[in-house]
Amino acid sequence: MTYLVCRNCGFSASERDVEDGLAVCPECNVDLKAEHPRGRDDTCRDAPFSRQEIPLRSAPRRIKPVFAGSAGEYFRIWIVNTFLMILTLGLYAPWAKVRERRFFYRHTVVDGRTFDYTAPPVAILKGYLIVGGGISLYYLAKVYNPLYSLLVFGIFSLVLPFLIYKSLRFFARHSAYRNIPFHFRGTVGESYRTYLLYPLLIPFTLGLIIPYWAFRRKKYFFGNIAFGTTANIFKGSARQFYKLYGIVAVMLTGVVVLFTVMILSFAPLIVTPEDVTFNTAMIFFFFAVYFTSLVVPAFIQQYIYAWTTNYCWGHSGLGNVRFQSTLKAGRLFWIRITNILAIIFSVGLLIPWAKVRRIRYIVDNVTVIADQGLDDFTAGLRPDESAYGDAATDFFDIEIGL
Amino acid sequence: MIEFKAVYFNGKTSRAYPVSVVFDGGTLRIRGSEGDHPALDVHIEDCTIAPPLGGTVRSIKLPGGAQCETTDTEAVSAMEHLTGRNTGMRLVHFLESRWKTAAGALAGLVLCVWLFATYGIPFLARKAAYAVPPELTEQMSRQAIKMLDRRFLKPSELDPGRIRKLREEFQHLSREIDADFNYRLEFRKSPHIGPNAFALPSGLVIMTDELVDLAADDRELLAILAHETAHVKKRHGLRSIIQNSGVFLLISLLAGDITSITSAAASLPALLAQSGYSRKFETEADRVAALYMIRKGWGTKPFQAILLRITRDMADYPGESLLASHPLTDQRVRHLREIEASMPEAE
Repeated sequence: MTYLVCRNCGFSASERDVEDGLAVCPECNVDLKAEHPRGRDDTCRDAPFSRQEIPLRSAPRRIKPVFAGSAGEYFRIWIVNTFLMILTLGLYAPWAKVRERRFFYRHTVVDGRTFDYTAPPVAILKGYLIVGGGISLYYLAKVYNPLYSLLVFGIFSLVLPFLIYKSLRFFARHSAYRNIPFHFRGTVGESYRTYLLYPLLIPFTLGLIIPYWAFRRKKYFFGNIAFGTTANIFKGSARQFYKLYGIVAVMLTGVVVLFTVMILSFAPLIVTPEDVTFNTAMIFFFFAVYFTSLVVPAFIQQYIYAWTTNYCWGHSGLGNVRFQSTLKAGRLFWIRITNILAIIFSVGLLIPWAKVRRIRYIVDNVTVIADQGLDDFTAGLRPDESAYGDAATDFFDIEIGL
Repeated sequence: MIEFKAVYFNGKTSRAYPVSVVFDGGTLRIRGSEGDHPALDVHIEDCTIAPPLGGTVRSIKLPGGAQCETTDTEAVSAMEHLTGRNTGMRLVHFLESRWKTAAGALAGLVLCVWLFATYGIPFLARKAAYAVPPELTEQMSRQAIKMLDRRFLKPSELDPGRIRKLREEFQHLSREIDADFNYRLEFRKSPHIGPNAFALPSGLVIMTDELVDLAADDRELLAILAHETAHVKKRHGLRSIIQNSGVFLLISLLAGDITSITSAAASLPALLAQSGYSRKFETEADRVAALYMIRKGWGTKPFQAILLRITRDMADYPGESLLASHPLTDQRVRHLREIEASMPEAE
């Protein structure tokens, strides 16, 4: 396979990537199809980070990550966490958060070594207090005067991109593998473009920007994450996201057609009141509508999740390491539905089991493709990050893409 | 002397060095088991031992950003024990590692939630409700009445003389029950809600024309007004707002990540808790009203009569369910009779 190399930073892309719509270097906006000397000019703008994606040899190693935790083990951690959280009126929450995340990180084994989450709980507590204060302010304002809550919401939307930026930095800084921390290299400006500008443009573009927005959100994470001094290279293109959302639109149209057919075929049965079939038909009809309105969004959600996760991992390159993700929407959907049922019927006691089951499926479907071992990554600088961003991710459940 | 096998990471590269570690109580001697690297002695005072968690690997942070990882959890806990590290988290780990303690935590959790929902939240809500400044309740009530006027209420069509007389009687009554608050009585016509009365936290009491028309005499209306005054005096309105948000907070804290997928299942206990609270408030307000009526020498008969008549009449109104938080009328009437029977000076 031939590679096109960015003359500015050394970023390389295969010809297939370029055919898929990757015309310019994602970092420097240099046209890849124009003059492309195969050699590398070392005037890379991000000096401490290596931005070179090294082409793989013909027979690289395929490493299967393993999730080694068990549901029983997690149940005990979870129940003690919850108990201590209630006992301390929520003050234990940061410690619980760190222990929970640590459990999942330390049981994810890649090439015989585990991940680690090293965030200091006290820093997260500060973040919780700040963000919790903001949320209380919002509810107070809502009780006092609904107009004020709108104002608070407006201020909040202005602050949110900054919080996301800070939280991603904090999250990356405190995630480590083989004692090498991750780094998040994204800028505040890109965060404001991604989380404020594009959503604001949705009404003006009649929603046509939504796939592009989804792409930019993923790009903000995958295009800026670095392991030690090795930056991840994200080669995704917005065009593929338009394809995905096109398929989703077709699915939604199908459901609307199905609904219409259902309503039209049931309408005569429901309208004749004295008939015996009246009740059963109506109950069946409402059950069908309710079921569809619950199941279809869940399936579409899992479909989008599976596709984007597979795509983003598949189009990432970390030095001489590549990834492959083979999630199946159908399987994820089945796990989701059965998990919800299990949680409801166990009054929440099966939450840990459900969580471990889903994580195990996701980890089982990732493959790390490495040229040699994973021994040659370097650490670099260690800046400190404050924690209020981390609390923001927990409160607003921003998906970070792992 | 504690000895164990470990893996050493220097913190600069991702390379793993197999090492053997010897700890003599003060110094960690780390020696590479394949080749010379690393060979270092560090004092335990300069190291951080990451707290234990489930069956996961143990890690020791060394000075200068290096780290040792080992699966020999026993050796590391022995080290922790010897140096008195992580006492708090070791206790948490102890609770987490056994099924018996986990079951204990579950039982404790259920007990705590029950205690908190029954005593904690109402107690805190009462404290908070009395601390709310009057300007805020004024503002809130103004918003609420504006909304109600727009959607459910119409201007009263009662005779102005009748309104004046009821207001005078109400001023007298409210001063006797609660002298500290500024009470006002307003009338509205509401074909939607029907015969009803309600109080806002600021001391504004609204009575519908339909209720005035339904009453046989003014004592019946005064019984209702005494009930509403008690709601304001005891800050029931504010307390229920605060309690309901407390329950919501508690449930979201407990459910954490599942609120989004099972919101229907999560809102059911919230609804149950809320109706339990509001029932308590109604009973309390009934009691205040009953005692007032008995003190006046009127007895609770007028109160019982108007309650029964309202219930009979209510069924005709579409907005009936809007304010239907009152306990079943039969129970309320029985409760009123019990109060009267238990009073020694009652007739």
